[in-house]
Amino acid sequence: MSVRPAVESWGASDLAARVRAGNRASIARAISTVEAGGKASAELLKALHEATGRARLFGITGAPGVGKSTLVGALIAELRNGYQSVAVIAVDPSSPVTGGAILGDRVRMTQHVEDDGVFIRSLASRGSGGGLSLATSRVAEVLDAAGLENVIIETVGAGQSEIDVIDVADITTVVCAPGLGDDIQAMKAGLLEVADVLVVNKADDPMATLTVNQLESMLALRSDAGRKVPLLKTAARDAVGIPELADALNQAFEKLDQQGRAERRLQRMQRLLATVAGGIVARRLKATRGRRLDQLLTRMAAGELDVETAAVALLKSDVWRQD
Amino acid sequence: MSTSAQRPYRVLVSKIGLDGHDRGSRIVAAYLRDAGMEVIYTAPWQEVQALVRMASDEDVDLIGISSLATDHLLLPKLLEALRAADLGDLPVVVGGIVPDEDEQALIEAGVRRVFHPGSSRDEIVSTVAALAAEARIQRKTESF
Amino acid sequence: MRRQPSQLPLPGFDQARAEWRRAYGEQLPEERPIFNRSGIEIAPLYTPEHFSDERYMDALGFPGHGPMTRGIYPSMHRGRAWSQRQLIGLGVPEDYNRRLKRILASGGTAVSLIPCNSVYRGLDADQVDPLLLGTCGAVVNTVDDMDACFADVAVDELSTAMNDPLPFTLLALLLAVSDRRGIPWTKLTGTSNQSDYISHFVANHMFFRIALPGSRRILIDHIEFTNRHVPGWNPVSVVGQHMQQAGATPAEAMAFTLCTAVQYAEDCIARGMDPDTFLPRFTFFFDISISFFEEIAKFRAGRRIWARIVRQRFGARNPRAARFKFHAQTSGVDLTRQQPYNNIARVTAQAMAGIFGGLQSLHTDAYDEVLSVPTEHAARIAVCTQNILREEAQLGDVIDPLGGSYYLEHLTNETEALIESLIAKVDDAGGMYRAVETGLVQTMIGESAMRFQARVDNGEQTVVGVNKYRLEEDSDARASLKRPSPEKIEAQLESLRQYKKGRDSAAVQRALETLTRVADSENENVYAALVEATIAGATHGEVVAVLRREMGDGEPLIVP
Repeated sequence: MSVRPAVESWGASDLAARVRAGNRASIARAISTVEAGGKASAELLKALHEATGRARLFGITGAPGVGKSTLVGALIAELRNGYQSVAVIAVDPSSPVTGGAILGDRVRMTQHVEDDGVFIRSLASRGSGGGLSLATSRVAEVLDAAGLENVIIETVGAGQSEIDVIDVADITTVVCAPGLGDDIQAMKAGLLEVADVLVVNKADDPMATLTVNQLESMLALRSDAGRKVPLLKTAARDAVGIPELADALNQAFEKLDQQGRAERRLQRMQRLLATVAGGIVARRLKATRGRRLDQLLTRMAAGELDVETAAVALLKSDVWRQD
Repeated sequence: MSTSAQRPYRVLVSKIGLDGHDRGSRIVAAYLRDAGMEVIYTAPWQEVQALVRMASDEDVDLIGISSLATDHLLLPKLLEALRAADLGDLPVVVGGIVPDEDEQALIEAGVRRVFHPGSSRDEIVSTVAALAAEARIQRKTESF
Repeated sequence: MRRQPSQLPLPGFDQARAEWRRAYGEQLPEERPIFNRSGIEIAPLYTPEHFSDERYMDALGFPGHGPMTRGIYPSMHRGRAWSQRQLIGLGVPEDYNRRLKRILASGGTAVSLIPCNSVYRGLDADQVDPLLLGTCGAVVNTVDDMDACFADVAVDELSTAMNDPLPFTLLALLLAVSDRRGIPWTKLTGTSNQSDYISHFVANHMFFRIALPGSRRILIDHIEFTNRHVPGWNPVSVVGQHMQQAGATPAEAMAFTLCTAVQYAEDCIARGMDPDTFLPRFTFFFDISISFFEEIAKFRAGRRIWARIVRQRFGARNPRAARFKFHAQTSGVDLTRQQPYNNIARVTAQAMAGIFGGLQSLHTDAYDEVLSVPTEHAARIAVCTQNILREEAQLGDVIDPLGGSYYLEHLTNETEALIESLIAKVDDAGGMYRAVETGLVQTMIGESAMRFQARVDNGEQTVVGVNKYRLEEDSDARASLKRPSPEKIEAQLESLRQYKKGRDSAAVQRALETLTRVADSENENVYAALVEATIAGATHGEVVAVLRREMGDGEPLIVP
C-alpha cells in the first residue's frame, strides 16, 4: 500500500482530511491539484474551506536582484526562532512561448529544507491575466488549511505580477536595493501605493542611505501620504534588520483588526473576481467565432462604435455565444 | 475538465555530494524549460534527505542529478531514501561523467537512465518526458 | 572583405587580389561566413593588408620586452622549456607520496597537489560520506597528512603547485611541515593555484567556501603574508580556466581573467601595497580549447594587454611586473566519451596551441578524463605527448614561431580589441568584484555556454564521434577504475582520530579562539592567525569552519 496520494482516484474529502492533518505528501499533491484548476480543484477547496482563514498571508515583491529570496530565507529563520510554522510560495515567471520555467528561488532557502515547520513550494506563473493570482491564492488556501501559520508569497515585481500579489496577501512588503535607480522610477507606477511595508535590502551598500532618502521623499508625495508605511533597512545575507522586519510585519498585521481583515478579504475577492472574470472574457472572446461578434467588430472597425461602448455592449449581450 | 494531462511536467534538477560545476545542469535545465517543463533548480551540494524532502514538497515527476566527479556514488543512497519516503516510483536519472563500471551498479540500484557527455538535446528531453509521463500515469492509477 | 585599394607598396597587389576574389567567388558562390568561438569572423585569406611590418615594433617588438606579444622572456622555451605539471592526487597521503616519488625519479621538479573534493569543500574526512573520500584527490586534513604526502621528499627543492583555494589551508600545513623539519619558509617555492575566489564564484565551482566579502579580505591577507614571510611563493594565480570551462568564449575568459587580476591588484593597492612588489608574483592559469588559432591569439593578446595595464593603470616600473606568466591546461570540455582515443589527438592540438601561445607551464589532459578520474596509463600518454611535442617535433626551438603570420597577427589584433571592449564593460559595471556580485559576468558566460551548445546541437560545430563520424559500435577501451579501498579510508579516518587525540587540545582551542577574534577584527591578518592555528595543530576542517562561521558561508551567487 502506498501512502503517496493519487488525487484523481481519491475523494476530495479524503485528501482534504490528510491535508488538514498536515501530511506533507498530501499537501504537495493538493497543491498540484488546485494549481491545475478545474473540478477536482474546486471540490478540494470546498472541502478545505472551513479550515482556512487562520494563516497570515505575507506578500513579498520587488525587482529581480534585490535579494528577495535571501530576505525570505532570513525571514523564515526569524519566524522559526519564534516557533512559528512557515510556508513559502516562490513564484517565477513561465516562458510565454513554451510554458516552461526554471524555478530557482529555493537556492537561497536551502538551510530550511529539512525543517518540518517549513514548507516551500515553487510555482510557475503559467501565463498571465489573473491566472497567477488565482493559482497562488488557491495554493495559499491549501497551506492555510494545512495549519501553516505564516504563508509568504514571493513574486518578482518586474511587470504586472507585482500588482497581483496584493490580490493574495494580507500584508504586502515591497523590497528594493540600493543603486537600482530604474526600479525606483518604476515603483512610482504603483508599487509604492500597494506597499504596507517597504524594505531597502543590501543596506551595507554605501548607496543605501541615498535610496532610503529617495523612497522617503516619494512616500511623502503619495496620494495617500497619510497612511503610514514603515521603511526598513536590511542586509538579509547577514541577517541584519530581520527581527525588525518581523516586528514590522507583526504590527502591520495586528493593525488589521478582525474587521480590517474581513474587509481586506472582501477586497481581495473583488480583485480576484475582476482579474479572473477578465481572463475568462478574454479567453472566450478569442475562441469565439460568430455572427454577433463579427457585427460588433465590423462596427468598431468602421468607427461607428467606440471601444468602451462596445465593451459595455459585449458584457451586456451574449455575443460570445457560438451560433 | 481534466487538466492534469496539460499540467507541465515538474522536474527537480540538482547536484548531490561535493562537486559544484554546474554548466551541465544549467544547460539541461534550460533544455527542459524550453521543452515546456517546470524545472525546480537547486544549489549544488544537496544532502540526500534534503532532496527527498524537496522532491516530495514540490510534487515533482522526476529527479535529474548532474555528477561530474564521483558524487554519483551517493545515488544508491538517494534511491533508498526515496523508497523509504514512499517515493520509490519517482524516476531518477543522472547525467555527467559516470564510468561504465559504475553505470551498471547505478542501473541495478534503480537509476532509470545515465546520460553521458555528448547526449543530444532530443535524447535528454524525450527520455525525461517519457519517464515523467510514466511516473504520472502510475501515480494516477495507483490504488490504496 | 575589404573593397578599398590596399595602398600597399606592392606592385600588382590590388589587381592580383581582385582576380583571386573573383576566382574564389566562382568556386564558392554561396559560402556562409565563418566565425570562431569568440564570435570573430574568419576570412579565407590574410595578406599584408591585414598586417604589415611597419607596425612591427609597436605591436610585436622582441621577447621579454615592449609589448610582450612574442613572449615574456628573452629566451622563452629555448632557455627553459615549459614545465610539465601534471596534476596528481588520489587516495590517501601515502598514495600521493608514492606517485610523487615516481614523478621525481623520472626527473620532474615541478609537482602539484590535488586534494580530495571533501577538502575542496572545506571539510575534514570525518565530516563527509566515506564513499566519496579520496575518489578525486588526496585526503589531506592535518600536518601529519601533509608530512606523509612529502615523506622522504625535500620540500625546499621542489616547486609545488598547491590546488589550495582560500583560505589556503594546504600552504599553512606545508609551512607547519617545514617548521617540523627545520626548513625556513624563505626556501619554499610554489604557487597557490586556486587562489582566485572570483573565478570560483563565477563558475559556481566547488572551491568557494567563504562568502564574497570575507574571501576578498583573506586573499589580500594571504598576499601580504606570503610577500613578507614566504617570498618565493606565488600567492595569486588568476584563473581563466574555470570560466572557459563554464562556457565563456576564449575572448571572454581572457577578458574576465584580466579584469579579475585588475581587481586583486587594486585591492592590494588599497591595502597600501606596492605594485612593483606584488605584481611580479601574480601568475595566471588558462584553459586551452581546440580552437587552435583562436587560442594562440588569445594568449598573445592577453600578454600584450596585461603589459599595458601593468604599466599604464598601475604605473609599475619593475619589468618583471609586466610578465604575463601563465600555466595552461588542455580543455576537458572538448574531450569526448565516444571513441575516447580520439582525445589524444585533441589534446595534442590543444597543447600545440598553448605552446605556440607562449605558456610557461602545461598540463595535458589524460584521454580518459571524460570517462573517470584519469588512470596512470592515460596520464603517462599525456606526459609523453608533451615530450613528443618538445623533443621530437621540436616546437620550442623558435620563439613565437607563428608571429608574423598575416592571419595570426590580424586575429591577435581583433581578439585584443574584443577583450578590451569586454574589459570596458566590466569597468563600467564597477569592476570585476561588483560585476560578479550582481551576476553580470555569470549571465554573459551562461549565454555563451548556451550558444555554443546550440551550435553543437544543430551540427554547426562538429564534434567528431558525437554529432559527426559516429560509430554504431563504440567499443573503444574504457578506463578501469582504481578507488581507495574501504580499509584504506577507514585507516585514514582512524589516523585523523588519533591525530586529534594526540595533539595539545588546549593550544588548539586557544589558537582557534584567536582566529575567531582576528576574523572579527577590522584589520588584523586572518591568514597569519590561520597559519598559527595550523601550527598549533588545528585541522583543515576546523579552521575553515571558524572562518565560515565568522565570515559567512560561500553560497552560489546566481542560478539560471
